[in-house]
Amino acid sequence: MFNLIRNEWMKLFSRPATYVMTGLIVLAVIAATVITLFISSLGEEQSDNWQSQLQAENAQLEQTIENGEEWFAGQDPEEQLAINQYALDNNIPPNDMNTVWTYLENSTFLISIIGLFAIIVASGIVAGEFSWGTIKLLMIRPIARWKILLSKFITVGAFGLFLVAITAVLSVILGFIFFDPGSSVRLVFEDGQIVEKSMAAYIVRVYLFNSIDVIMLTTMAFMISAVFRSSSLAIGISLFLLFVGGTATGFIAVYYDWAKYSLFANTNLSLYEMNMPLVEGMTMQFSIIMILIYFSVFMTLAFTIFTKRDIAS
Amino acid sequence: MSTQVVELRKVTKKIRSKTIIDDISFNVYTGEVFGFLGPNGAGKTTTIRMIVGLMEMSSGDIVINGKSIKTDFEDAVRHVGAIVENPEMYKFMSGYKNLVHYSRMYKGISKEKIDEVVKLVGLEGRINEKVKTYSLGMRQRLGIAQSLLHDPKVLILDEPTNGLDPAGIREIRDYIRKLAKERDMAVIVSSHLLSEMEMMCDRIGIIQHGKLKDVQLIEDFVGTQSQVYKIEISNADQIVAKMRASFSAWEIELVNQDLLINCKKEDIPEIIKWCVEEGVAVYGAAKAARTLEDRFLEVTSDKKGEPANV
Ligand SMILES: Nc1ncnc2c1ncn2[C@@H]1O[C@H](COP(=O)(O)OP(=O)(O)OP(=O)(O)O)[C@@H](O)[C@H]1O
Ligand SMILES: [Mg+2]
Repeated sequence: MFNLIRNEWMKLFSRPATYVMTGLIVLAVIAATVITLFISSLGEEQSDNWQSQLQAENAQLEQTIENGEEWFAGQDPEEQLAINQYALDNNIPPNDMNTVWTYLENSTFLISIIGLFAIIVASGIVAGEFSWGTIKLLMIRPIARWKILLSKFITVGAFGLFLVAITAVLSVILGFIFFDPGSSVRLVFEDGQIVEKSMAAYIVRVYLFNSIDVIMLTTMAFMISAVFRSSSLAIGISLFLLFVGGTATGFIAVYYDWAKYSLFANTNLSLYEMNMPLVEGMTMQFSIIMILIYFSVFMTLAFTIFTKRDIAS
Repeated sequence: MSTQVVELRKVTKKIRSKTIIDDISFNVYTGEVFGFLGPNGAGKTTTIRMIVGLMEMSSGDIVINGKSIKTDFEDAVRHVGAIVENPEMYKFMSGYKNLVHYSRMYKGISKEKIDEVVKLVGLEGRINEKVKTYSLGMRQRLGIAQSLLHDPKVLILDEPTNGLDPAGIREIRDYIRKLAKERDMAVIVSSHLLSEMEMMCDRIGIIQHGKLKDVQLIEDFVGTQSQVYKIEISNADQIVAKMRASFSAWEIELVNQDLLINCKKEDIPEIIKWCVEEGVAVYGAAKAARTLEDRFLEVTSDKKGEPANV
């Protein structure tokens, strides 16, 4: 298996497109840095005294509570007020635009770019062998077909992780060069009291949650590539869903309950953290189970059809 | 001394109710070159795809070195090296990397082994260049190199001389024979070029419309079995009908004012005697060398004598 993965890696890195993708990821990280620097330079003058800012916000919060109004995005104004008070009491400045944490939190779009490249690689890794005609010489070796397919799937994953590693290392380096360290403590309101949590763990979780849909789409692209042996079909469908899947599901979910069984209704686990399930009654367990079901369906389709079908053409 | 390494047992392939391969059985032995001969679309490539496990058969079985390709794919195919149709390689990699790629799919293929096959096919000079810069002939050589990496017992080459110049054809022919004789490999070569089959095969099987028409030793195939004599006489066109009536046992054909008669050597004097009695001048009687080509067309043409259709 290790040799098979080495082979796939060698083939992947013998093509210029792979280097172009790697280069684009580096550029995207740099772009994220430049954009965040630009935005934070706009808001510079207000951010010199965080204490007075928080106090101003608290005044607003109290006003909101008095009037019984809503605060931002489903947040409980009383919790926010408590968190702000705790920050003031314990001298923990919130992370503003100049901190490395905010910069990292705002760079999650990089995941979509990595996902895009992972989808491209997944779409071509099986279908390419068919279009090059090399599938014949690949499959007449004393190696079961499922092992060859698995090595390709692992290679797609490894390539995704490779891009993630580049992004992470570069982001952290650039982050600490250009931004303030900020505070590595994140305050959350939990069970009626304020808890200090790790900011780093929070960022990792944000990235993980944001990765679910691209991981699923990459798996789907791989499945289409293996079943239909067409990379354009795989890229087409997956990218279409990447761009409109989430939004479309959101619209459908407004009118129909069954939308909760669709893939995209379940890939955004952060909705549960914010207590805003897409359809009333959906839970995180439900979504995780749905994700696992979709994943196994994609895998079963890919492996059964790829190992059964004749290689003719 | 030679043992059977490839065995096709009543192999049939249907694609969407169309029978492409119809009940084919034959065996191939170590040390022999088996020619798989048939016109375009006869089913050669399809049969080869089934032997190497790229296609499943609808019924029947193929056994390689005692293992069924159906139930024991890995152990059966371990002994096979093959080119199926054009030897397509990864064009974006060098020839050498392509070989490294395939060598990793077997246990224990050393660098020396790779160098050895590169040398065997004469690609030393260009092996580190990308395959996309190779000519068709060089790709064909690289294809043969990859098929020999693991010292297979069975070598299957689908139209290996496709795209080669005469010198290249000769070279490949020579080392196909050499591999069979020196390394005791069983070689299956498909082709529709009869002339080259004649020079490299020990036996040939003729396939047409998915059916195996005939399997013969090459000597028998071209040989005496149905000898034709060419008789040059005057007024052949006028006399032929009468002659056919007198010698109904033989096939008598009129070709360019000559008679082609399929008969035994001993019958010639009788024919000449008959001609003389009929007052026909005999200018010559000679063995008409029947080429493999003629035999091939004869075997593959339908009973009515129509040429083989594609
Ligand atoms: N996937 C397929 N679906 C339907 N028919 C097929 C398929 N593959 C091959 N055939 C048919 O099977 C027959 C045999 O094809 P095959 O490629 O085996 O011929 P061949 O003897 O190798 O010919 P050639 O000398 O042209 O290479 C042809 O009539 C072809 O049309
Ligand atoms: Mg063919």
